[in-house]
Amino acid sequence: MTAAARNRRRPQAGWAVSIALALCVVGFVGAMQWNSSVAREAFTTSAQQTLARQITTLEGEQNDLRSQIAAAEAEVQRVQAEQTSDSAALKQVNDQLAAARLSVGLTAVTGPGVIVEIADSKRVVPQGENPANFIVLVDDLRDIVAALWASGAEAIAINDERLVATSSIYGVGASVLVNTAFLSPPFRIQAIGTDGLLDRFQASPAFRGRVAHRIDFFGLEFAAQAATDLQIPAFVGSTRFRWAVPREDGP
Amino acid sequence: MSRPLAQISLFAVALLVGVLLVGQLRSQARPTEISSLSAQELSQLVDQLSERNRQLRAALADLQQTLREYNAAGTQGQSALDVSREDLRRITAFGGLAPVEGQGIVLQVTGDLDAIALNDLLNELRNAGAEALAVDQIRITNRSVAIQGPVSLLIDGHQVGRTFTLSAIGSPEGLLSTMERPGGIIAQLQQFIDASIVATQSTVITLPATDISLVPQVAKPVE
Repeated sequence: MTAAARNRRRPQAGWAVSIALALCVVGFVGAMQWNSSVAREAFTTSAQQTLARQITTLEGEQNDLRSQIAAAEAEVQRVQAEQTSDSAALKQVNDQLAAARLSVGLTAVTGPGVIVEIADSKRVVPQGENPANFIVLVDDLRDIVAALWASGAEAIAINDERLVATSSIYGVGASVLVNTAFLSPPFRIQAIGTDGLLDRFQASPAFRGRVAHRIDFFGLEFAAQAATDLQIPAFVGSTRFRWAVPREDGP
Repeated sequence: MSRPLAQISLFAVALLVGVLLVGQLRSQARPTEISSLSAQELSQLVDQLSERNRQLRAALADLQQTLREYNAAGTQGQSALDVSREDLRRITAFGGLAPVEGQGIVLQVTGDLDAIALNDLLNELRNAGAEALAVDQIRITNRSVAIQGPVSLLIDGHQVGRTFTLSAIGSPEGLLSTMERPGGIIAQLQQFIDASIVATQSTVITLPATDISLVPQVAKPVE
């Protein structure tokens, strides 16, 4: 064989090795993909499927109700705004109403603040480790929110769910309910507050105590940054109490 | 193999590897879709969503009623003023800006609760349907959280001692059963923290308005 012929053959051998390696990867990943698909399919029983369908229906119903509430709320505020030009007493009460709505989270707000994002770890769960350690838990969200309030936040929303006096952050399995909404990671927490909110948040014991440790130890995806122009939506939901009655000595 | 054919083959294989790898990474990520939850968790979620939808339907009915009252009252006069005043009473009560009273439960707490435990108690009560909360005489608002102060826990700048009362207005039966259920928040706290938590129903609970200003300094209404 001449030297020229040997040189022509070397690149061909290189191609062959590359393609063989790539095919091995294809085979390996394909097998894993197939196996995991089968496992997920087997996990879902008919009872679970029925319940999952109910949840999908309830979520659809909820979206519809929330749209209707937002529209009705906007209509009430439009009527109140129109009234202000007609009567001084009415204008005074409606101004108080607007101020109260702003204070308690019933008005969409804008301003400077902080965006905190947290998502499940991308690390491979080591053998023998609890996989739950590597996902965002409801406690992580509660700690972040507590740290933000403690640092002087004036308005907070998690994935656009505005937090108000009756809001709870509730865990169902590995899932999270905030107000009436079922939220999934990644979680984006927006908080409006005065200068230095980010520094105060990151130094807050509520943040440093537990969630910061989990971020470092389990590799939860995390980012926090200051922002100059956030927009946080108004709370959409029930503001009418069934059990608590305003006292006469109130406003 | 001719050079163009080899390049096309390699491109196809690389594309396939990419697609499969993305699929695999997605399948290893947390299955957040509801079908990944257990039957018990799904049932819990159905209950939670059903209750929350019931609240939303009630809220919508209330808003529609308010609109009907405004329409009946016209755009001025005493009737419209009454509707707005009623709306103001509702919203200030909702946000903790006005005192409220009603039935509910009272938790007598003594022990070494830390800030996380107290915040968890408040969160659990809200989730159980508490409409208004106070720790001793500190009305809980959207911004109220317990933090560890130099000598004791603090909420809204007020000290919370080792013994305190947590009052919650809401369905007395519903609140009590949630708090006292086996494996519930009280059982968990008493297992891990040296604390005594005694919950009792009460027919008359009076909660004050918050004494802090909730008027935002930098947050402005969206025009």
